[in-house]
Amino acid sequence: MTYDIVIIGGGAAGLAALHSAYEDGLKILLIEREKTLGGILKQCIHNGFGVHHYKEELTGPEYAERGIEAIQDLDIDVFTDTTVIDISKKKKEFTLSMMNTVDGEFDVKAKAVIMSTGCYERTRGQIQLPGERPAGIMPAGSAQRYLNIDGYLVGKKVFILGSGDIGLIMARRMKLEGADVLGVAELMPYSNGLTRNIVQCLHDFDIPLYLSHTITNIKGKKQLEQITISEVDERFVPIAGTEKHFDVDTLLLSVGLVPDIKMFDSLNMDISPLTKGAIVDQFFQTSVEGLFACGNSLHVHDLVDFVTQESEKAGEYAKQYVKEGSLRQKKLTSVMPGDRVRYVLPQKIDLTADQEGWTFALRATENAQRGTFKIYQGDALIMEKKARFIAPAEMEHIEVKKDLLVSNEPLKISLEVLA
Amino acid sequence: MYDYLVIGAGVTGANIARMLSKYELNVIVLDKESDIGNGATLANSAIVHSGHDPKEDTLKAKLCVRGNALYHELEKNLDVPLMHNGAYLLASDEESEAQLDTLFNRAKYNGVHAEFVPLEVAFKEEPNIAKDTTRVLSLPSTKITYPWEVALACMENAVSNGVTYKGNQTVNSIQKDGDIFTVTTEEGDVYETKHIINAAGVFVEKIAAMIEKDVPYKINPRRGEYYVLDRRTKGFVNRTIYPVPSVRGKGVLLVPQIHGNILVGPNAIEQDSLDDYSNTPDGLRWVRNEASRIVQNIPFDQIIRTFTGIRPSIYQYDFYIEESLEVDNFFHVAGIDSPGLTAAPAIAEYVEEILKGKMRLVKKESYDPKRRKLVLYNEMTKRQQQKAFDEDKRYGNLICKCEKITEADVVKSIHSPIPATSVKAIKKRARAGAGLCQGGYCEHQVLKLLARELEKPLTQVDYYHPSTPLVKTETKVKP
Amino acid sequence: MKEMICIVCPVGCHMSVDSNMNVFNNKCKRGEVYAKKELTNPTRMVTSTVRIESALQARIPVKTMDAIPKGKIFELMEMLADVTLKAPVKRGHVVIENVFDTGVDIVTTASLTE
Repeated sequence: MTYDIVIIGGGAAGLAALHSAYEDGLKILLIEREKTLGGILKQCIHNGFGVHHYKEELTGPEYAERGIEAIQDLDIDVFTDTTVIDISKKKKEFTLSMMNTVDGEFDVKAKAVIMSTGCYERTRGQIQLPGERPAGIMPAGSAQRYLNIDGYLVGKKVFILGSGDIGLIMARRMKLEGADVLGVAELMPYSNGLTRNIVQCLHDFDIPLYLSHTITNIKGKKQLEQITISEVDERFVPIAGTEKHFDVDTLLLSVGLVPDIKMFDSLNMDISPLTKGAIVDQFFQTSVEGLFACGNSLHVHDLVDFVTQESEKAGEYAKQYVKEGSLRQKKLTSVMPGDRVRYVLPQKIDLTADQEGWTFALRATENAQRGTFKIYQGDALIMEKKARFIAPAEMEHIEVKKDLLVSNEPLKISLEVLA
Repeated sequence: MYDYLVIGAGVTGANIARMLSKYELNVIVLDKESDIGNGATLANSAIVHSGHDPKEDTLKAKLCVRGNALYHELEKNLDVPLMHNGAYLLASDEESEAQLDTLFNRAKYNGVHAEFVPLEVAFKEEPNIAKDTTRVLSLPSTKITYPWEVALACMENAVSNGVTYKGNQTVNSIQKDGDIFTVTTEEGDVYETKHIINAAGVFVEKIAAMIEKDVPYKINPRRGEYYVLDRRTKGFVNRTIYPVPSVRGKGVLLVPQIHGNILVGPNAIEQDSLDDYSNTPDGLRWVRNEASRIVQNIPFDQIIRTFTGIRPSIYQYDFYIEESLEVDNFFHVAGIDSPGLTAAPAIAEYVEEILKGKMRLVKKESYDPKRRKLVLYNEMTKRQQQKAFDEDKRYGNLICKCEKITEADVVKSIHSPIPATSVKAIKKRARAGAGLCQGGYCEHQVLKLLARELEKPLTQVDYYHPSTPLVKTETKVKP
Repeated sequence: MKEMICIVCPVGCHMSVDSNMNVFNNKCKRGEVYAKKELTNPTRMVTSTVRIESALQARIPVKTMDAIPKGKIFELMEMLADVTLKAPVKRGHVVIENVFDTGVDIVTTASLTE
């Protein structure tokens, strides 16, 4: 069976990509490893989703179901409960190996593939927490699943490392369901979560937030018994004498997300060390022609609304690729992060493409009340954009018109912060 | 009444149990942990050493060289995984080159094949070794195994030949009345036996002190910390890469693993605690720096976890394998630190000789030395996979996508001869959760399969040890 | 003086309110309104779950259709513990009507089939 487009992952990104890629006559397949579509949104039962895209505040499951309803009458194939295990490419054709309990292991062919496989949570091993390794330490998202889908609390006395939104949301959820949440520690001097979540998840329940703190010891031979946190200096080195101990049975980690793209390893696409996702051009096409990437498997987003917007574009371009046979660029120019910018995406631009301009997604490396994004081409400053309330936790979007370009040299985006 | 009671189901105790199962004897193995091989067996470098390193004329030298050879029998009869990939020992200055000569001579004396390889060959074979390497000694008989599976294979084979195994049994007293030992455990069980073999690893002295006034050795636990790199790094080094040993120990190694990961470690820090498996930032930093001296550009961005092992060292250099001087029929198997994993089958043979000197051992006619491992879906050929799926649709349900583990693999591990009854026990047998995401996605599925197969509520399925459930209470239920 | 952070917009003003309900350090009028409401009648949206039988999952998510008094949150949690639904259930199904006489309904936020 040869499909025009195969989309891997039926969460927010895959659903949006599918919606925009769909056209009468195109053969499209959506593959989802779980029994139902919707992805991680299904367990994010809190509200605050959809403000940009649907102009109203939705919970995660509601946002997911809107995406599902938008595609349910389309004439496409959907394989749920099916896991892709490998992807290879010969000439212009992809072969996807997958398995399920109906057909066992089987292959399908595709002209274009969209990866919308989401991300996974960084674990204890990857951040190398000191101390013993008892039971009771897990990523916050795992605890969220046990609580919201299965109806189980993973602990009664909880501490949370990392103040990203998922950590804050879980602090409130665990508290509401009867657990004692003793505190949240954050390595940085500021929280990575939204102010609203600091207020409504922590302040409302008198849960302390320890900024500039990290875990310096873990005790417990079998079950977690105690954690120690210490204040850190500007270089993130723990300061002796600042230790605080908490007797807890559970430590939830909210210490970052990583694009889940290992299944694409055999395609040898170029991967960004900054985003840990694929390097893409303005068509969301990876270095492997015909392979498109979007959503959290491309880079970890702050808001699902932006996942939807980005994935709709990726779907659109995948369709264009299939119809035109190629989007292949003659020459790609790099777009690089400059001062105070962690990454810029897309990382490559075909300057000759017939487009009016491009929107770049980027993240700053520090908080700033006010600042100016400066876009350089070579040494020439070609554009400036003022911004307010810049935070590493929030994505920025900058549109650059093509007629501003002055050469074929690489682009660079920097952030200048006013003192 | 048992003829033999073995304390400790690590790789040593398991090999001894298998040896005893050859004979017409009533044998039981007790272990304080919820699963076998949870001490030094679980956390070490996984190397089947050649025998170049132990001092001349020691038990360590003799049993290491013999054990290395016996691993071929384990591979053949027990399906123990063995990677015949050899090792390189690196020198980078005059002093370490001199040590390399010493080791070369020691290897020759110990009967171990070793040869110097030209630098250009070494750099071609192992392009990532440090550029300042000046001399390389190759040890072709060095191998890699999966130590925990060695213990599992021996114990499964022992059990299928009639040995009894019981976990969660912490021995807390040993009495002897006439010829009979009475062994009591914290869990309240009582065992009577004619002989005791003490293979309790780091707890060996504690056990001995229950029955001996003067234990002839003192335990000196030494912590060793490691990094595990993701399977993506496979091929970064192909052999075990050793520095020359220094006063600081055998040094930090890079060791390719059976499952494709690379281990980096260990350090060697003496500690008092017998069960403090903490990782320390200082220890890990030291490991990182030391490793970077022998191999360049180690992909530390691919770390998936860190762990700590405790070596059951004693203050004497050599293994201590003797019958008690005070108590007849009580046998010490103590100080089994490196190369203990390699020596384990030879230690069992050595113990066998000691026993034969004391009593007549009658061969069991039904003894079968073979054990077939549970073949995981990802280890099957395409045709085997198809056949397995046709017979059992659960082979189509992928539980762990990082390691390609199916529902059938997990279920079969739960119902294996030494059953997996916890999430971590599944990880050791079927590798679910051992990959990049470390169980982030599959753990809840494994938990549910355990609950289903063991017919327990979710809140009673342990992460590993007794009373360590992953989920503690159900919500929305009124007390 | 009562200290609070305004959550109306991303500025996040750190405001102070005195005993006479005078609001300080707010950059705009909306902050003052928020501060006064927080001190007189703070309300919150609540999202949680209730039990469901015969579905693929053991819990179904629910939410308050509008904000309810903050002081009633734990009481609402108690009430939700008494609810059990049976699949199939549609999104928007009313679980509790007019909770605490606030005019606010509790509804499901997902559709679950059998």
